[in-house]
Amino acid sequence: MIRQFGWNEFELLVLAARWTIVLALFAFVGGGIGGLIVALLRTGDSRVARTAMVAFIRVFQGTPLLMQLFLAYFGMAIFGFNVNPLTAAVIALTAHASAYLGEIWRGCIEAVPRGQTEAATVLGLHYVARMRHVVLPQAARIAVPPTVGFLVQLLKETSLTSIIGFVELTRQGQIITSVTFRPFLVYGIVAAVYFILCWPLSLAARGMERGMARATQR
Amino acid sequence: MSILSKGMALIVGLGLVLAGSATARADALQDIKSRGTIKIGVLVDFPPYGLMNEQNKPDGYDPDVAKLLARDMGVQLQLVPVTGPNRIPYLLSGQVDLLVASLGITPERAKSVEFSEPYAAITIAVYGKDDVNVAKPEDLAGKTIAVARASTQDTAVTKVAPQSATIRRFDSDAAALQALMSGQVALIGCSNVCYLTIQKLAPGKFNKKFELSSQVQGIAVKPGEAKLLAWVNQFIDKVKTNGELDKVNQKWLGEGMPAVLKKK
Repeated sequence: MIRQFGWNEFELLVLAARWTIVLALFAFVGGGIGGLIVALLRTGDSRVARTAMVAFIRVFQGTPLLMQLFLAYFGMAIFGFNVNPLTAAVIALTAHASAYLGEIWRGCIEAVPRGQTEAATVLGLHYVARMRHVVLPQAARIAVPPTVGFLVQLLKETSLTSIIGFVELTRQGQIITSVTFRPFLVYGIVAAVYFILCWPLSLAARGMERGMARATQR
Repeated sequence: MSILSKGMALIVGLGLVLAGSATARADALQDIKSRGTIKIGVLVDFPPYGLMNEQNKPDGYDPDVAKLLARDMGVQLQLVPVTGPNRIPYLLSGQVDLLVASLGITPERAKSVEFSEPYAAITIAVYGKDDVNVAKPEDLAGKTIAVARASTQDTAVTKVAPQSATIRRFDSDAAALQALMSGQVALIGCSNVCYLTIQKLAPGKFNKKFELSSQVQGIAVKPGEAKLLAWVNQFIDKVKTNGELDKVNQKWLGEGMPAVLKKK
């Protein structure tokens, strides 16, 4: 039953990373859009929207992602909605990322001095223009490090989708370990692949920070 | 992980209660036949019962039984890889029709799923050198036997061995096996899966002396599907009698169907 760890096994392992990448991309895009909406509503004027967003954030920050994935897939199936695993994963990851990014970005928006908003209002800028040209560009600069930190974490958290049947990097590692009995080698490769995926994100973040610092230099 | 799976069982249970009989259909067997495909959950990280082969397809004892089952029903087979913690949720939420996933038949599990007759067993037995004459527990008198400390086989051997037998306890099955291979002991208490390794390392030099105990595994069906369960039981009876299950045992475990599966 014991199988040698060969090129074939290595290939299977590296190929499994495609699910990690696909799921992470969906989560980044979905979470980015969702998070911006959450952050804007959370800092906006409507009390109803603010309360709703607080509730949304509390629920999704307060429950484990594993349970969110589980409920999105098995829970919906029990109630007669047969979602496929990808849809369930995208729904759960998007909601999870929206809650976290929304809260991170709210902090960044609020960190922009109030005088900036007031000055923009005095200049006759409406909400959209005020946000787009004055507040968000300044908030974005503060937002880069925590956002990238969260995205890197999210990429690694996609391994939780194995609970609903995705054979992504970590799960493939477990499966291959069970037939090759080479846990150090297999998980070493798994860790290296995660590193190769995460490292460029951190590099890009540093690049962005430098660019923005230059743009706001006086 | 056990807290996690308990949590999941709770959520699924709650969901089932809430959903009530609205989604419970009377005849899954008919549904499967009219659909033309049966979805069967199998493990892929529990060799030799379930594993991923070189082509990255599910293979092993369980998938082979699943293939026989689908062929008998005359439908296409769709194997769904499941894991230990999520296999029961897969079944209860209807993502798979059956589980052939090395699910040991236990009273706790029987509360949430319905089990068929056993189709597989993990057997714990005393194995030893061909020339050692041991056929029953009393024959262990004056002999030395290796076991993994605090394992099921340790408990079982300790219970049946006479006073004069020496039980050498090792930290793991691998260490006990090493002692057997190097000739420090002539007898070992271990599982049939461990015996597979023995045979691979030293073919034909060791054989089974007597069985200690066994954990039987059943095919799991969603509760309330009496017709499907009856069909599965009839299928298991058939492959037990016509020798096909014996072949699967030979292929993956290197020995015939264990005695515990034969008695009805």
